[in-house]
Amino acid sequence: MSAAVRAWARRQYWPAYLYLLPGAAFYILFVLRPLLTTAWISLFDWDGLTLGSWAGLDNYTALLSNPVLRSSLLHSLVFIVFYALVPVAVGLVLTGLMVRIRIRGLAVFRSLLFVPQVLSTVVIAVSWRWIYDTDGPVNGLLRAVGLGGLARSWLGDYGTALPSVGLIGSWIMYGLCMVLFLAGAMRIPRELFEAARLDGAGPVREFFAVILPALRGEISIALVLTVTQALRNFDIVWNTTTGGPGDSTTVPSVAIYQGAFVTRQVGSAAAVGIALTVLTLAVCAVIMRVLRERKG
Amino acid sequence: MRRHGRRAALGAGTAAVLALALGACSVPGAGGGGSEQQQLAGGRVTKPVSPGKVAKLGKTELRIIADSGEQGFLRKFVPLYEKKYPNVHVKVETKAFDDSSKTIVNTMSGSNPPDLVQGNQGYGVDGLLVQSGLLRPIDDVAHAYGWDLDLPSGATSQLRWTGDGRIFGSGNLYGISQSNEYVGVFSNRKKLEKLGIPQPKTWRDFTAALKKADEKGEQPIMLGNSDQYPAEQLLGTIQAQQQSVSASRAWIDGVPGTTFATEANRKSARTLRSWAKKGYLGADYNGISADDAVTKFTGGKGVFLVAGAWNAPAVGKQLGDDAGFTIPEKPDGTVAAAGSFGLPWHISAKTKKADAAIAWLGMMQGEEGAQAMADAGRLPVRTEGVKMPDRLAEQQAAAGKRLLDDDGQTYYFDWASNSMMTTIGSATQDLLTGRLGTGAYLGKVQKDWRGFRAGQEKAAGSAGGDKSGAGE
Repeated sequence: MSAAVRAWARRQYWPAYLYLLPGAAFYILFVLRPLLTTAWISLFDWDGLTLGSWAGLDNYTALLSNPVLRSSLLHSLVFIVFYALVPVAVGLVLTGLMVRIRIRGLAVFRSLLFVPQVLSTVVIAVSWRWIYDTDGPVNGLLRAVGLGGLARSWLGDYGTALPSVGLIGSWIMYGLCMVLFLAGAMRIPRELFEAARLDGAGPVREFFAVILPALRGEISIALVLTVTQALRNFDIVWNTTTGGPGDSTTVPSVAIYQGAFVTRQVGSAAAVGIALTVLTLAVCAVIMRVLRERKG
Repeated sequence: MRRHGRRAALGAGTAAVLALALGACSVPGAGGGGSEQQQLAGGRVTKPVSPGKVAKLGKTELRIIADSGEQGFLRKFVPLYEKKYPNVHVKVETKAFDDSSKTIVNTMSGSNPPDLVQGNQGYGVDGLLVQSGLLRPIDDVAHAYGWDLDLPSGATSQLRWTGDGRIFGSGNLYGISQSNEYVGVFSNRKKLEKLGIPQPKTWRDFTAALKKADEKGEQPIMLGNSDQYPAEQLLGTIQAQQQSVSASRAWIDGVPGTTFATEANRKSARTLRSWAKKGYLGADYNGISADDAVTKFTGGKGVFLVAGAWNAPAVGKQLGDDAGFTIPEKPDGTVAAAGSFGLPWHISAKTKKADAAIAWLGMMQGEEGAQAMADAGRLPVRTEGVKMPDRLAEQQAAAGKRLLDDDGQTYYFDWASNSMMTTIGSATQDLLTGRLGTGAYLGKVQKDWRGFRAGQEKAAGSAGGDKSGAGE
């Protein structure tokens, strides 16, 4: 063991580490340190102000038996569908179309589709609240085509609130996915397309045989980004439904916010935060492992 | 030799990294806000602070953190104060309500807190500030300025805490406010006339009007409850009719043995549910925000709007003199409503400028402060000699004065615990739609209360071991 360490140490060019130092210092100070502090606080019963008392792993065992938290985790899984799977699917379809069809002003088109990514989420939430409003355009459209029976308060109805909020996420995320995939598709050698067409592949076959395998790396990145967004989703939920009606749209981040700032159970909020971080890292690790580029 | 040096460097580097990363590993909260008994900042006062006494501070700065909703008032009031106390420059910082209620406790426990600050009634902010010994009790000030005679003692209990900050509603006075905020009934006079319904005076009139409006095909009450608090306030309005004010306050204060599952609350919850079921509240209340409900009401949807008096500027701008406002009378001829003073002002326990801060409170509670409040479009606590800007505001000032004279502010349910805002907010959404039955609803709210009380008592017991056996 120590021989191996010594051998490893001998191979290093130590001055190189000096160059890493500034970056590492920032990373340690502003990422690792807060993370470790949060983990440390999660072991206490603390109101954020007066002296905390040691709680050990109590905050974590309490998480497992909290029914509200369990249902909010379930909502997060639904959000993964809307924030990650739907946008990736839509992005892939759009990419497949745009690769085949030469569109004039592609750059303009691309930037327009990317706009949701750039907008502030509060602005997005307020706009969608209006879109979903009882007198808003969605219901207006339904009534105009004679489907007034379907019109409802989309964000206030127990059955539709969760998917309605989820669709906002899909709308935000698909632009990012599409831009990533288009960039990836540009790198595919033209010969591959030509070969596929010579072999008589139609558009669908070409998509699955040429485009999809080539985008493996991009899909993995897109999934990691969007799944992370889905799991830490807070702003859209908070600004559209505050977790309601009832608690039909609460997510773990809402519990963190309320614990840290409203009910002042900072220790247990920190425990939720740490658990959510571990879960997110685990899910992302699985995605990256499954979609790893195979060598050779 | 060189290799040894390298390894030492590596070891030192690792140690430094660990030290940096783990630097925060002491018990959280250690070294923070001191709760030891401190002297009354600036000494006890026995008479109003004179400009001469404030002048002794020399050229100085009074630092204030206030809610951003106070901006209108402060724009009027600060110049008046600086004119009367010319040696003091007032430095104001305002914060949005959400920000301030989340950060104010930490700001006050820092090493350089502002001299005056706005807190919030209840355990979430004021309770924590008192627990940490960050506020100067102001009983002496209240006595010197005569507030203890001007204001009903029941209403000032919302500013009182035991010294350990664990019991709300009795003990020292820690704050004061010139603003009067309560929930009442806005009406659209034009609609009432068209329907042939007289402006309701009593609760019986009001419920009869709801029925009649419904029969004539109008939505009786405009409710927007996606923010979860408006239906809670509507329930409070109904409940104020059913239950004695002192019983409502006792539960919110956390008096042991009280419960939310009283017969009056059961009846109130049942009434609220029946209104929702009959369509009195429209169909989509859980999907409409509170602000949107005001807009829809002024746009002609709904005959009544049960909402905070603070919505008057938004309502008045659209409806003008067509806007009516009232607190329906109880059968015994008194009025009661969900309501309280506005956000209370507190003096920091650490201030070095107590005289200037006390002078601020004194002037704010006086006629000049009241007029400044009225000029800013808000309701002052003191109404004698104050000129209100328009007819709607006059109606509200009259109703507010009556509410104070009858000592009828029942506070807000969500003061009862730190988590009550969320608990009762989402539970009331479920009650309206029938997802929760009345009994389950009352039980859910009471469970939150019980859990919070248990935590408070445990904390009070461990903080002051010698005090825990006292009483009973």
